[in-house]
Amino acid sequence: MSESRVTSLVERKNIESKWVVEGDPWEAFRQIEVITLELTQSYRHSLGKYSRFFLELENGRFLGTSCPTCHKVFAPPRPLCPDCLSITAWQELPGTGTVQTFSIMHFPSLVNDDVRRLETPVTLAYVLLDGGSTLFPHVLKAAPESIHIGMRVRVAYAAAPVQHPIHLMYFVPLEE
Amino acid sequence: MADRMPMVIGVGLTPFASNREDCNVRDLAVEAVLDCVRDAGIENLDAVQHGLTSYESDHFNRQMTLGAILHDTLGLNPTPNVRVEGGGATGALALRTAWAYVKSGLCDSILVYGCETNGKSIASQTANQLFALSADVDWEMMVGGTYTAFYAAMMRVHMEQYGTKREQFAHVAVRNRRNAAANPFAQRPMDISIDDVLNSRPIAEPYTLLDCSLLSDGAAALLLATEEWAKQHSSRFAERPPVAFTATGCGTDTMRLGDRYPHLTNFAGKRAAAQQAYRSAGITNPLEQIDVAELYDSYSGVEIQAVEDLGFVPEGQGGPAVADGMFDHDGALPVNTSGGLLGRGAPVGATGIAQAIEVVQQLWGEVTPERQVHHARRGLTDTHAGIGTICVVNIFERQD
Repeated sequence: MSESRVTSLVERKNIESKWVVEGDPWEAFRQIEVITLELTQSYRHSLGKYSRFFLELENGRFLGTSCPTCHKVFAPPRPLCPDCLSITAWQELPGTGTVQTFSIMHFPSLVNDDVRRLETPVTLAYVLLDGGSTLFPHVLKAAPESIHIGMRVRVAYAAAPVQHPIHLMYFVPLEE
Repeated sequence: MADRMPMVIGVGLTPFASNREDCNVRDLAVEAVLDCVRDAGIENLDAVQHGLTSYESDHFNRQMTLGAILHDTLGLNPTPNVRVEGGGATGALALRTAWAYVKSGLCDSILVYGCETNGKSIASQTANQLFALSADVDWEMMVGGTYTAFYAAMMRVHMEQYGTKREQFAHVAVRNRRNAAANPFAQRPMDISIDDVLNSRPIAEPYTLLDCSLLSDGAAALLLATEEWAKQHSSRFAERPPVAFTATGCGTDTMRLGDRYPHLTNFAGKRAAAQQAYRSAGITNPLEQIDVAELYDSYSGVEIQAVEDLGFVPEGQGGPAVADGMFDHDGALPVNTSGGLLGRGAPVGATGIAQAIEVVQQLWGEVTPERQVHHARRGLTDTHAGIGTICVVNIFERQD
């Protein structure tokens, strides 16, 4: 390949028309250029009406929301009860619960430093918190072979700084 | 024929591939639409009264307002156009929308074209992150969650509750990739064994690499119109058995799996979509009354859940039914003759349309002889977004 002034150039080549089953009407369009295209964004991302959940995690408290009308308790919180459209109230939960299902992820989404710091495989556990009505999905730090449906767990609070406030917590086995 | 029943006039498809680096996303759409024009027996797009663009992601396609660009590229201006998006269900939701546009009299003909570049132009790790953006970002994606894990967590409960076995869903991974071998447009035909699936590397347990569907580049197009329009404009309409898009159903479910507790094993939205479509098509015994189907096998186990939610077998019996070959090519109801998402591939915006194309071509008797289902008169497509968050069931029937 001759020198190019295109700094993002990956390659230039002629493509064999292997994609065309019969005949190739695109013969004059087989010379291709591939470049690197970078698009990155960062946002001032408000956590909105869900914010208090994250604020209280930093204080070592685990909050759900409860519906004043149908008494369902949402964890993760919902500001609006989807069953009756009532505005919910914050409610502290003890942070203990039971694993209802889980998956051991060998390739978690490396979306932030918090996930990148985790030892793989990472267990994603769905936990029914005591006093809650829904399952809370989060990382369960436990030996993979020890994890099972029905396992008792509790919320643990991170001591070290985190990038996304959801990582102020994780689940660990409950020693009863 | 029923009033303004949308008929399938023509279909077009690109091969699905892991890396169509000879094309950008517009080139792919052009390829599928030109194929559709040829297949429909129309000279050009002048008589087409409406366009409908089907694609999921600005991130994958590196372009916003892609609908306007494709419409322009195809020379469809000033014809009206609409873009439809519904996650993994995008293509099927696009067809459902087109169905309503024709039925309502908004137009007599509509060209539905879908495309996506989900292939190797983006690293698979980045692709996983982009797909995770279509989960609940602050609650599921940020803890490192992946769609494979969400589906795997569902399957684990299915296994625990109904005794479903890894060998049973591995059967789907083997059969659909084998079916793909009879489809020259399939991305990844493979001749593999159950053991190959069980022994491939774990991705999100219990799912292994070979339980997972493909990332693809590709496009698909389908022209829908009234019979009157077809008789006037299509030279091929009278040549082949008339196939109508007779019914469509749509159902939804919560975004997060945990909000469905205690019902974690199956897709309630899919059940609702199927019931609507069946009611509308007059189907009371789907296993008997449907001859061929393309099911949304984003993961092998999802097909087991689907055959239950579509009412082919009772809930909890999908595993043994699949493993017994009930849905193989020589079974009671052949499914995923195209190879499905596991073997043919899955460029998201094209997927639901490509499923419909397989079914329609089966009804026309126009697929390769090895995969042709004989005497097929009624076919179904099952497509969904998320973990069954938006579900669409479309039904196509021969009218002769």
